[in-house]
Parts: sequence; C-alpha cells; structure tokens
Amino acid sequence: MIPRLNMKALLLASALAMTGLAAPADTLRVAMGFDPLSLDPIASSDNGSIWTQLLIFDTLIRPDRTGEGLEPGLAESWTVSEDGLTLTFKLREAKFSDGTPVTAEDVKFSIERAASEASGWGRFYRPITGFEIVSDHEIVMTLAEPFTPAFNNLALFAAAILPKAQVEAKGDAFFDAPVGSGPFMLKSWTRGSRIELAKNPHYWQEGKPHVDEAVLEVVTEPSARVIKLEAGEVDIALDPPLNQLKELDAKDGITVGQTIPYRADFVQLNTKRKPFDDERVRQALNLAIDKDALVQGVLYGAGKPAASAMPVMAYADPNLALYAYDPDRAKELLAEAGYADGFEAELLVDSGAATSRNAAIALQAMLQQVGVTVKVQMLEGGTQWETTKSGSYDMSVSYTTSDTIDPDQIIGFVAVNPERANAYHTEWHSDRLNELYAEERKTLNGPERGAMFQEMVQILHDEAPYIFLYHPASAWAAKDDVQGFEVLPTSNFRLEEVSLAD
Amino acid sequence: MRMLRNLLRSPAGAIGLAMMAITAAATVLTPLLSPYDPFALDFANAMQPPSALHWFGTDNFGRDIFTRVLAGAVYDLRLALVCVFGPMAIGVLVGLAAGYSGGRIDALLMRLTDIVWAFPFYVLVLAIVGVLGPSETNLYIAFFIVNWIGYARIVRGETLLISRLEFIEAARVLRFGRLRVMLRHILPNAVTPALVYSMSDVVLTVQAVAAMSFFGLGVQPPAPEWGLLIVESIDFMREAPWMTIFPGLAIVWIGIAFALLGEGLSTALKPKG
Repeated sequence: MIPRLNMKALLLASALAMTGLAAPADTLRVAMGFDPLSLDPIASSDNGSIWTQLLIFDTLIRPDRTGEGLEPGLAESWTVSEDGLTLTFKLREAKFSDGTPVTAEDVKFSIERAASEASGWGRFYRPITGFEIVSDHEIVMTLAEPFTPAFNNLALFAAAILPKAQVEAKGDAFFDAPVGSGPFMLKSWTRGSRIELAKNPHYWQEGKPHVDEAVLEVVTEPSARVIKLEAGEVDIALDPPLNQLKELDAKDGITVGQTIPYRADFVQLNTKRKPFDDERVRQALNLAIDKDALVQGVLYGAGKPAASAMPVMAYADPNLALYAYDPDRAKELLAEAGYADGFEAELLVDSGAATSRNAAIALQAMLQQVGVTVKVQMLEGGTQWETTKSGSYDMSVSYTTSDTIDPDQIIGFVAVNPERANAYHTEWHSDRLNELYAEERKTLNGPERGAMFQEMVQILHDEAPYIFLYHPASAWAAKDDVQGFEVLPTSNFRLEEVSLAD
Repeated sequence: MRMLRNLLRSPAGAIGLAMMAITAAATVLTPLLSPYDPFALDFANAMQPPSALHWFGTDNFGRDIFTRVLAGAVYDLRLALVCVFGPMAIGVLVGLAAGYSGGRIDALLMRLTDIVWAFPFYVLVLAIVGVLGPSETNLYIAFFIVNWIGYARIVRGETLLISRLEFIEAARVLRFGRLRVMLRHILPNAVTPALVYSMSDVVLTVQAVAAMSFFGLGVQPPAPEWGLLIVESIDFMREAPWMTIFPGLAIVWIGIAFALLGEGLSTALKPKG
C-alpha cells in the first residue's frame, strides 16, 4: 500500500512540475483515534462524533480558545436578565452551507429538539420553557425557574443549530448528509475509515476556513498515527503516544504541541461492594498511589497529578490538596477498616487504551505494597462501559472530559447520584452534595456559586469514590507547514483557523 | 534409558535436550541469576538499553527484562506442556478405544473428532475463551477441548494397523483380556508417532499461547508471559526495541529446542531394521 501511494505522489508531482499548474487545492489531513458514530448532535456522547459535529455545525455561543469564557457563535450578541430567567440572542447574518439563511425559527427548532425525549442531553435544555421569536434575527428564551447552566449549555454541541425545514423533511436521514452553518460541510463519510469535509462557501467568518478541504482519517492505533505523519500521509496526528513526544519533536519538519484539557483520569470504585463501601478503604487506596510516579512513568511528564475526579476548570479550588503518597498511613486505615491483611479485587481496563493499560499495571504494583492484590482484567472499551454500568465490577480505570466550560456538566456526571450516571457508576451518594448541586443550578454565577462547587469537590475528594490519578495532557504532532492548529481545553479543535504554508 | 541413549546419539536430540536443560535450570535458578524483582516498579530506570546491569535492558516501568523473560518461562512452559500432554492423554485413549473396538464406538468417536476438526483451530479456541472470559484456566479448558483430536486420529490409525499384526493375534489367541491387549501390547507401539507429533505440537502451542495473551485473551498482567511482554512493548518498539526482541527470541529459543527434541525423538524411536 505505502509504496504504491508514494508512486502516485511521485507521478502527481512530476506531472505538476511538467505542466507548471498552480498548486492544487489545499487539503488538511488529520489522523484521529476516534471513529465518529453519528452526526446527530442530540444522539452523541463520543469524542469522535462531537469533534466532527463541531466542524459542521455552529452553536449560538461557544467556548473561547482559553476555555475561560464564551464568545459569539451564530449569536452576535446576547443579554441575560438580572434574574437569569430571560436570555435574548441577536443572530448574525449567517447561512447554512446550502445558502439558506439561519433564522430564529431554526434556533427554536434546534433547542426544542435538544430538549426532546429523543435527546440524550434533554435535561440540559428542558429548563428553557419559552421561546419568543421577535424577528428572523432575534429570539428570546425564558426559564420558569432559575437554572444557571442553561446559558452555558447553549454552547454545547448538543445545541447545534440545524436547518428546521430540512431536518423535518428528511428525518434521521438528514444526519447521513447533514447541512450546517459551520466552517465545513460533509463531502463524504466512510464509516470506520474517513470523513471528507469541504469548505463551506457561505461560512460567516470572512476568509475562513483557510484550507479548501479537510480529511479526518480514523486511525485507532496511536503509533500508526505517528507513522502516517512521518510518511507524509497526514498533516496532523492527534494523540501520539506520550512516550514518543520528545523524539517526535526533535524530528525535522514535525512540531509537537500539548495542552492539559478539561479532563480527569481515575479509577471508579464500586461503593456498593465490599470493601469499597468503607470510606477508609477508599481513602487508603488513594494514599497508596504515588501520583508523581504515575505522571512520570505513565504520562512521561505530560500531565499533572489529580486531587479529585473533576477536571481543573472554572471555580476549581487552588488549595485542594492531593492525597499524599503515604503507604504506611494507607495500611493503618486498611487495618482500622478490618482489612489488616489486605484484600483481593479485580480492576477493569480498556485494552485499547495504552495509557490506561500502563496505569493499571503500575496501580497493581503500588497497591500490592499495601497488601491489596489486584487482578487486572483487560476488556474492549464498550464491554468495560457496559460492565461498570451494570454494576458488576470492583474497580475500573476511566476518565471524563468536559465539553463545556461550566463545571455543572461534569460534577453532575461524576458525583451526583442518581442524576446522569449514579455518580459515574460508583453508586456513591452524598446528600449534602446533591443538595449543593440543586442549589448551584439556581445560583447566579459568582463567588457564591463558586463556593458551592468547591464544597462539592471537597466532599468528593474526602469521601473518595474514586482513586484520583491525573490530568493528562492532550498532545498532537503536526508538520511544520501546519499553522494555527491547537487542541482546545474542551478537547476539540477548530480547523477553520488552520492554514498550510507552502 | 535406552531411549535416552538413542536420543543423545542423534545430534539434534542432544542439542534440543541441552537447550531444554538450560531453560529448566535458568527457570529454577532465576533468583540466583538475577537480583531483580520481575514485578517491582522502578521508574528511575525505565527503558534502559541492554547493559551489564540489565542484560536484556529494562521496560517502561523499569523492570528488568532478563528477569521477566526468565520468570515468564514458567508460564509459557507450563501452559504449553499442559495444553499438549493433557489433551494428548485424552486423544490417545480415544484413539485406542476407537481403533481397537471398531464398529459403532469407532464411528461415534470419529464423527466427534470430525466435528471438532471442522472448525479452524484458532476460531474455536478464540470462541471458547471469548465465551468463558480470558484467564489461564479458561485457556486450559479451550485447549483441552480442541487439541486432543490430532492425537485421537493418529493413535486410531496406528491401532488399526497394529491390531492386525501377528503378535496381537497371538495375544488374542492366548485369551488375554481386552484391556491388557490394548494397554500392554498396542499402546506402547501406537503412542510413538503421537509422541513425535507432540514435540512439533508443543512448538505450535507455545506460539498459540503467546498469541492468545497477545490478543488479551490469555494470561493477564502483570504475569511476565512472553506474548504479554510483546504486546506490552508495542508502543515502545521504536525507542526500546529490546522490550520486544528478547521475549520474541525466548519464544524462538523454546521453539527450536522442542523442534530439535522432536527430530531426535523420531530418530531414536524409529524401529530398527
């Protein structure tokens, strides 16, 4: 395969040289590890789908590059009333990729759809109860009662603005060949293999995207993505193996970038099972883990140790201390809990995730030091998810990433029970935390709401339904002529900003 | 004893036996040969190339690969030997019973082997382990279900042949019991080709066992089983190729040892004249 491709490139190059043609259309090729499953925003929760949708669709507002604030998307301006119950958006003159204008009617339709029963993200939007279309370019949304995350949730992929007429006409088939107002439009989609995108000629950001076409190639093996980059088959390799970053960066013509996104890695503990029902045991497990060694040995320095299962984002408490590495104290706690001789437990890990696999092996050795014998069970990722969801597990290595800049999404996922996932299948429950969660959502942004988040994270830290591991960096490697690429704190990327220098 | 002498007389057999002896000694004497713990993490010494201190280098956790390869020999040899000689015992008895009894029993037992034979080896093993879940015990179960048929077929054929020879006729005429004829007179003669076959079977089984671990369906970490060592090394192959090479060479070493032993055995056991 490879020699043949090179041959083709050679022929093409010589043909171009002979005819003296202008440079062909710029195509940006990206190798990514995730296979997008669906392009329907309300039916997605996997990164491959989300990242692709964010290239095709727009939202009213979106997280800015720093991940600290929101910036205009399809809405060029907005006002939020003092009580937080009325949100007014003024839409810009934007068009879908087929040339039809984006109207307030499309906005109402899309948000109502996101709030519908069919939506996986319904509870994020149901608090918005009223829509008033003032004009084609102005819409007012009203809430029956305060729900602070509502505004932020409109920046989430699930609130992508879709063309009402087309979705209604085509139904689910629309999402096989979707039309959006984002920087790119879908050209072709080979499931499990590649997505080809072409520049949206009607995109509202003047002069963008800089490239004419973009290809997302699905390459699940991390080393294979790097090899493709080195062979010149792609321009950007997402998530190269962390142990290869230094070597890659030293190579001529390749630049490595990294950022720590809103992500936290941890081990879920099934608190319905013994001995994980005992808080002291869970704390002991946290004390038995040398997190700095993990960051060095498993992330090769590309990351930070974690004090909780929450990504470090808005309202994070800078004073929240890590569980110090203290195996002696861990043994004491285990003895107090009646496990002086330790215990045996099974640890699930996704066999396809190299970093998690290595973490599991390191955890096993560290826990052995305090008498806990861990049996590692490698499973395919989907099976691991189903197994933890059904509650038939002891421990499981997993992680979470935030798609928004507001911590409400992730705290609801990892710490609140039942809410979205029974505290991410740990079945752990804190009345106080649930109370704070309900309260936080009614409190306007400000120090008061911040204090509530800090207290929730403190409870999560203290009662430790997880072994907190680290916040790993998200890395990418690109050819030197790729300019303007970066992974955002929300883990996705914007290809409209990227250009290829000649 | 005479067999051993014959075996040593053939160069292949002698070398194969010596290689096995070295492997066995190294496995037993691991603590004397290496000061390292095959499981202890030492991040400060991660991915060191082979040196006087670490003969085979260290892995991404700083574990000494020489120690891990030696410690892994126990897993691979145990798995390979049990997965060959366990099913071989079953296969030999089935083949003997089928070949000597003939008639309905023979037809029944041979149709059973046909059914198992109809599935490609790996497909069946993968399916069984897939259903039971990955673990060493389940690997044994899968190999016991699949691996006996080759022996049953070989021994049945031999038994049919030997049953018609004069000394068996003589034994029958002397009214020896069925069991006595089968076990004392036919078995020792019929088992020889099975034994020779088992040596090449061990080579294949070592590879199969490593392959199963490679797929994540065999022995689970942190056991230093060789297939597991190789799969764990893949991400580091470019910067630390010794992590892959040495476990791979260990599999080759054992493969050659058993192949030579099989070669020697077939010479040693060949009837004279």
